[in-house]
Amino acid sequence: MESPTKEQPHISLVPCEGPEPHSPPPSPASDESFWRAPIMWFLSLTIERRILAGFSLVFAGILVISTVSYRNTSAVIANSGLDTRSHELVQLLTNIDMAMDQTENNHRRYLVTGEELYLESYQSVIKQRPTFIRYLEHLTEGVPEQQERVALLERMMDQQLAAEAHAITVLTNRGFEAVKKMALEGAATREISEIHKVVAEMESYERQALRRRVLESAATTTNTIVLLSIGALLQFVLLAAVYYLIRHDITERRRVADELQRRGELLEAANKELESFSYSVSHDLRAPLRHIDGYASLLRKAVTESLNEKATRYLQTISDSAKQMGQLIDDLLVFSRMGRQEMLQTGVDLNQLIRTILYDLRLDLQGREISWTIATLPEVLGDPAMLRQVFMNLIANAVKFTSTRTRAHIEVGIDRLNSGEVVIYVRDNGVGFDMQYAGKLFGVFQRLHRMDEFEGTGIGLANVRRIVHRHGGRTWAEGEPDKGATFYLTLPTRRLRS
Amino acid sequence: MTGAKPIVLAEDNPRDAELALAAMEEQNISDKVVLCHDGAEVLDYLYCRGPFASRMKGNPAVIFLDIKMPKVNGLEVLRTIKADTHLRPIPVVMLTSSREERDLGESYALGANAYVVKPVEFHQFVSAVKELGTFWGVINEPPPQGSGSGK
Repeated sequence: MESPTKEQPHISLVPCEGPEPHSPPPSPASDESFWRAPIMWFLSLTIERRILAGFSLVFAGILVISTVSYRNTSAVIANSGLDTRSHELVQLLTNIDMAMDQTENNHRRYLVTGEELYLESYQSVIKQRPTFIRYLEHLTEGVPEQQERVALLERMMDQQLAAEAHAITVLTNRGFEAVKKMALEGAATREISEIHKVVAEMESYERQALRRRVLESAATTTNTIVLLSIGALLQFVLLAAVYYLIRHDITERRRVADELQRRGELLEAANKELESFSYSVSHDLRAPLRHIDGYASLLRKAVTESLNEKATRYLQTISDSAKQMGQLIDDLLVFSRMGRQEMLQTGVDLNQLIRTILYDLRLDLQGREISWTIATLPEVLGDPAMLRQVFMNLIANAVKFTSTRTRAHIEVGIDRLNSGEVVIYVRDNGVGFDMQYAGKLFGVFQRLHRMDEFEGTGIGLANVRRIVHRHGGRTWAEGEPDKGATFYLTLPTRRLRS
Repeated sequence: MTGAKPIVLAEDNPRDAELALAAMEEQNISDKVVLCHDGAEVLDYLYCRGPFASRMKGNPAVIFLDIKMPKVNGLEVLRTIKADTHLRPIPVVMLTSSREERDLGESYALGANAYVVKPVEFHQFVSAVKELGTFWGVINEPPPQGSGSGK
């Protein structure tokens, strides 16, 4: 049993070791890793970076190709300029060669005949010499080999002309016999043959250069065509990528829009469901409560004589509980409606709003000694009915929680007034609250006091928060047990009061 | 003058019906009340059909309509009444649990004469029913009989 299990690892090792001897040809392996690294890097990028990397690569390629093509074309154009120069130079050299030749021949005729007419070409060459030289120097500019030859040619021309001038002087001074030998052989035979040689050399040099440049231009042109083709291909790839990306983007957008619409429909359905839920809460949950209170009342009436005090209290508790539950349901419905209701957006005069609230609370304020400090408030943007509920809740709360004070103080003021936003507070010197419960204060049905201390369902501040949030504001509170409480809220203002 | 005219109370919930009747009893108008348990019955009564085929002709003084009822709901009954030239003059009071704006708006749009939300508290309920019964059943002067349903 043991030996086969021991052997198994050996068997499994064989296929493992097997491929290794095949892999050693290292060049394909390293070649592969050379390609794999950038591909892995590319795949690790986000889609946006991939697009950026791809586009950069293509742009760089197009840029390089454009630069190289431009330089190639410039080179071809420069070559053709050089060609023109070469042709001109060859033409000029031929002309000089012929002119010098003609001068020498006519000079000989002059020596033989003494006819001044034959000196015309000699004189014209003397006149043309600076032009020839300037032209030559210009056409060989930047080519040192040719410039050297030009210098030699210039020297030879000068020597020829000097020899001829000498011969003319001798003829004039000493007569034909003195120049007879020169008249037969020519005054500057050596210089003329030297000029022929230099001109032939220069011509051959230029022809070689021409041939070389033709080959060079042909190669460059081919090169440029290939590069431009690659550039066109890259541009095509770029266009195709752009097309693909735009299409992809449009498809994606369409998908998102569809998804949004689907969600919207779901949300609408959910909202409808919620509405029908609150409808049935409003309708069906209240009915049994009505019955409880109704029958309790009927019962009390039916047995009123035989009821003892305890039984009366029980019946009263049944009625009170039913009523309380009815109140809770109503409050909850108001709260839920507050979230769904359409909101107005108008300027609201908070000073007027608070005046009417105090007027509406006048019955609750009877028999109370309250000192009010109410600041002039700015006009805010919002729904007047909802904001009325906010301040009604806050002020009624302040009145309620100061009921244990012999002298209550309630203050409505501005904490901060920034551009576009105002922080308003309602402060009282009532029973306050422990800051550790501050987070619970604005919750639905959250109460920090016992029912027999202060009545209420615990929905008021939840409504305040919901309304202020719907106006784009925030709510928070500060307090201390038995010292009082301050409720803050922010609201968007219509304009700044200076 | 109006003493003989009946009051129709459409209420599918027997407890609500009993409570309403108890409230009306205090006002001594309970004997004039005709109780219908759903919308179909209300229409049968108004058109003198089925169990009401042999009733005395004439429109009731007022109809108290619950909205949520089986078979034919209150809003449908209201629509039928206000679409019928003979029935249109009958005052219709929507007496319902629903405080929903939708129901309120639709009721008034269909031509309801009043909309009363049944209070949870029985004493309030009693006083509401009392006042409604007294106002519509006793005080309010009904339209002349000629415009009623009598053929």
